[in-house]
Amino acid sequence: MNKSGTDIQFAICGSAGDGTIASGDIMKRAAAAMGFHVIAFDVYPPEIRGFGKCISRIRISSEQAYSLKEQSDVFVSLNDGHAIPHVGEVRDYGAVIYDDHLIAPVAEGGHISAHIRPAQIPYGLPIRQISEQATNAARSRNIVVLGYVAGLLDLPAEAFRKVIAQKFASKPAVVTESNIRAFDAGLEAGRGVFRYDDVAVGAAPTAADGEAVMMTGNGAIVRGFLEGGIQSYFGYPITPATSIMERLAVELPKAGGRFLQTEDEIAAISATIGAGFAGSRAATATSGPGLALMTEMMGLGVMAEVPAVVVCSQRGGPSTGLPTKTEQSDLNLAVHGGSGDAPRIVIAPTNVEGCYRCAGMAFEIAEKYQVPVVLLIDLYLSNRYETVFPSDKNVFAPKPREVPKVKEGEDYKRFVLTEDGISPRALPGDAGMMYTATGLEHNELGKPSDVLHMEMNAKRHHKLKSAVNYPGLTTSKRFGDMGKVDVGILGWGSTFGEILETMFEAQAEGISCSAMKVVMLSPLPEGELRAFFDDCKVVLVPELNYQGQFANLVSGAIGRPVVRLNRTIATPMPVAEILSEVRRLAAEVNEPVAAAAGGV
Amino acid sequence: MAEPHHHVIIGSGSAGFGAAKTLREGDPDCRITMFTMDAIPFYHRYRLPEVFRGRTDWRDLLAKPPSFYEENGITLRRRCRVVDVDGSAHVVSLAHQETVPFDSLLVAAGGRAYLPENLSGHAHLIHGFGSFEAAMRVYNDLPRGGRVVMIGGDMIGLDLLLTLLDTGYRVTLIVNAQTFWPHELTAEQRAPLLEALRGKGVDVIENARAVGISPQNGGAPARRVALDDGREIEGDVVMAFCGLATSVEFMLRAEVDIERGLLVSPELQTTNDAIWAAGDICQIWHDGEKAYKFYHGWKNVRVMGQLAARNILGAHEPFDVDVEDRIWVDEDGEIQSTFWTRKP
Repeated sequence: MNKSGTDIQFAICGSAGDGTIASGDIMKRAAAAMGFHVIAFDVYPPEIRGFGKCISRIRISSEQAYSLKEQSDVFVSLNDGHAIPHVGEVRDYGAVIYDDHLIAPVAEGGHISAHIRPAQIPYGLPIRQISEQATNAARSRNIVVLGYVAGLLDLPAEAFRKVIAQKFASKPAVVTESNIRAFDAGLEAGRGVFRYDDVAVGAAPTAADGEAVMMTGNGAIVRGFLEGGIQSYFGYPITPATSIMERLAVELPKAGGRFLQTEDEIAAISATIGAGFAGSRAATATSGPGLALMTEMMGLGVMAEVPAVVVCSQRGGPSTGLPTKTEQSDLNLAVHGGSGDAPRIVIAPTNVEGCYRCAGMAFEIAEKYQVPVVLLIDLYLSNRYETVFPSDKNVFAPKPREVPKVKEGEDYKRFVLTEDGISPRALPGDAGMMYTATGLEHNELGKPSDVLHMEMNAKRHHKLKSAVNYPGLTTSKRFGDMGKVDVGILGWGSTFGEILETMFEAQAEGISCSAMKVVMLSPLPEGELRAFFDDCKVVLVPELNYQGQFANLVSGAIGRPVVRLNRTIATPMPVAEILSEVRRLAAEVNEPVAAAAGGV
Repeated sequence: MAEPHHHVIIGSGSAGFGAAKTLREGDPDCRITMFTMDAIPFYHRYRLPEVFRGRTDWRDLLAKPPSFYEENGITLRRRCRVVDVDGSAHVVSLAHQETVPFDSLLVAAGGRAYLPENLSGHAHLIHGFGSFEAAMRVYNDLPRGGRVVMIGGDMIGLDLLLTLLDTGYRVTLIVNAQTFWPHELTAEQRAPLLEALRGKGVDVIENARAVGISPQNGGAPARRVALDDGREIEGDVVMAFCGLATSVEFMLRAEVDIERGLLVSPELQTTNDAIWAAGDICQIWHDGEKAYKFYHGWKNVRVMGQLAARNILGAHEPFDVDVEDRIWVDEDGEIQSTFWTRKP
C-alpha cells in the first residue's frame, strides 16, 4: 500500500522466556508514539514457559497498512534454533541481527549465520555479552537488541526509553534503570555500524487524527464493551479469547459492572442469557470449542428473544485443534449452529478498529433486535496490534430504554407480531408486564403454543432484515475500482487486510480489480453483494477454512458462482497466493477463448 | 549414499571466489562453503576508488549478483571469523563457536593493510581502504575538494590517489619504502614516477617520515601529521598504503609450515595434504630461486585461486604465471604497471 515513506516490518524470534513478545511490545508502542501506523502480530507457543517459539512481527508505516507483510525488513534472533526456519522470511537486502558470541559450541549449521542468504545482510553482535556488561545479567538481551535496532536505523531513542519506563513502571525502579542501561548499551553498539541493508525509516506522519492508541483486537473489544455500557460478563478461559476475560475482570468492576468466571462455557452463556433477560448488558467470549457448547443456550436466546453478546475468536479446529493458530472455520457454527431455525446476528470485524466499533455497538444492536449477537473474530485479529484513533467522547453510550406501553386492561404481549418483527421488550420488574419466557414455542403472550410456529419463525427471521442497514455500522464496503471490473475479491474477517493489500498490488499491476468486505455475516447484505457480483466478471473468495464456508454462504444466499481460495495453513492468508490467483483470473477473463481452448 | 566432498574456502576475495567457481565447474556434486569477514558477497577491491565517482551502492561493485551463490550451490558464510583450523581432525572453528568439518580446505584469506610500527599507536586516526565499508567512510568523512594525506602509497593507494585527483580532491603523499609496493624500485626508478605525480598536482614529500598524527577541530582540517624533520602537515583524512601483511594466527594448529605466509608447493598445496592456499596469504616455492615467494597483484591472485581449485580436484599444475614486475610512465604522462590495470 505504501508507495512512499516508511513501510518496514520488524520481526523478533526467540524462545518462551527470552522476552521476545515484550521486546516486540516495546517496539510497537515506541513506533506508535513516534506517530507511525503500526500493525503487529505475536505468535506464542502452546507449551509452558521455557519451551516453544515466540515471534513478534511489527509493521511500521507512515500510511495505513492493512496486513502484515510476508517478508520482514529487519529480523532479530534471540534463539537460533527457533529463528533459523524463519530467516527465509527476510527480504533481499533486509537485515538479520543475531548473537555472534554463543556460550556453547554448536555443530555446522547450528548458528544462524549458516542460513542467511547472500542477498540478506548479516549483523552479528555479542548480544549476551552486552547485556551482561550493562546489567550483570543476560536476561536483558531482548532490550539490548531493541537498542541496537534503534541505533542502526537511527530511531529516536527517547521514544523507546519512555515506553520501557512505562512498561516497568509497576516494578521497582531498579528494573527500569537496568533495562534502560541495556537499551543504551545496544544503542551504542548499533550507532555507527556501517549499513549494507536498504531499510529506510523516514519521518513519521506529523498530523495524526487524535491520540494513537495501540490495541489488540481483544483489547479493542474490551474498550468497545466498556464504552458500549457492558454491565455483566461471564466467561470461561479459552485461547485466544482469554485476554478479553482477563481485562474485563479488572476493568468491569471499576466501571460498576459484574464479572464472574464460570465453571464452563455452558454456565457462561446461561448466565449471559439470564442477565440479558433481566436487562443487563451482558457478554461472554469464547472460541470455537466453547461456542459449540453454547449453541443450545443461544437457541434459547433466539427463541426467548433475549439480547446477549457472544464473542467467538476462532482458532484451528475441529475439537482442540490448533489452539494457538488462526483459522476462519467457525463461520458455519456462528451463523447456523444450534437446533431449529435459529437466526442471529453475526458481525465479523476486519481489523482492530472494527473490533472496537462493533463491540461498542453490539449491545445496542442486540437490544434493538432482541437476539444474541455474535462477534466473530479469529486469533490473528484477537492478538494483532494496530494503532487505533478512538474518539475523545464516548459515541457508544447506551441510549435510554423505552418502556413498552400497554393499554389499561390489556395483557402485555411480549412477542406481539409487528410489521418489522420487533416486539416492545419489557424487563422483569416493569409494572404490569409479566410474561412467560421459555424455550418452548409460544404465542404472542409468551405462553407455550404451536399455533403460531410459522408466524413466530417468520417474525424471528424478519426482524433481523433491517440489521444490514444499522445506523453507524459498516456492514459491507467496497474498495478499489468502482463500476465494472475484471476481478472482484470478496472477504470477511481478518483475511480482508490481506485482500486489501492484494487489491492494491493488483491495481499497481494494471489489473482491473475491486474488493468488498462483508462485516455482517448474518443477515447478509444481499443487495450489496448482488451489486458487487454484477460488476465483477469473476469473484474470488479467499478464506482460512477448508470448506469455503463464506463462499458457500454467499453463493447459497444469492445464487452466484464464486472462485474459492481456501487455506488451512495455521497462518494468515499469504498476499502472494491471493495475488497469484487474481492474476490467473484476470488473464482468464480477458482471454476467454484461449482459456476455453486450453481447457479442452 | 556417500556424503558429498566438502570443500571449505576461507576468504571470498578474488582467489576464493575464483576457486569456488572452478570447484563447482569441476565437481557438480560437491559441497562448497566459503567463510568471509565481509558483510557482502565478492566484489573487486580494485574498483573501490569508484565510490569517489559516485558508485556508492555496493551492489554495483559485485562481481556476481547474490543469486549466483544459491544458483551454484555455494554456501557463502559472511561475517564469520575463522579462529582455528585443526589440521588433523579437518575441522574449522569459527569465532561464534561453530565447528565445520572439511574434506579439503583452501586458505585464501588475503592480507590486511600493513601499518608501520611507529604509526600503530595512531591507527584510530587513520582511515583504511580495505573494504567497501572503509571506502565509504573515507568518502563520507572527506569534504568536497578536501585533502588526503597518504602515507606510503602502494599500488592500491596509487589507484585511489589518481582517482582523488580526477575527482577534485587534493593529495599529499609522504613517500616511504612501501611507495609503489609491490614493485621494488630503486631511488632512480622512483624519481620519474614521483615527478609524474607532482605533475598531476600531488604534494610529494620525500626524505621525511610521519611520526605522529593528532586530531583537530574548530574548522581546521581534521588531522595534523607530524614529520620527523619537524614539519607538520594538515589533511582532512590520513590514509596509510604500505603494502599488505598476512594474518596466519588461525593456522597455527593446522599442521602446515608457516613463514611470513603459508608455505605452499608450486601446486599451492601446504604441508598438510588436505589444505591448499592461494592469494596474498601464501608463499609459493620457486624452484629456480630455491625460495618461497609472495606473488601479489590481483592478476596473480586470481590465477592462484583457479589453479588451487583444479589441483584440489586432482590436477597437478604448477603456478608459473608470475606477472612481470614493471612500472613506468607512458608517453601521456600516465603511470602504468604490470600489476595494476587502472580503470578510467
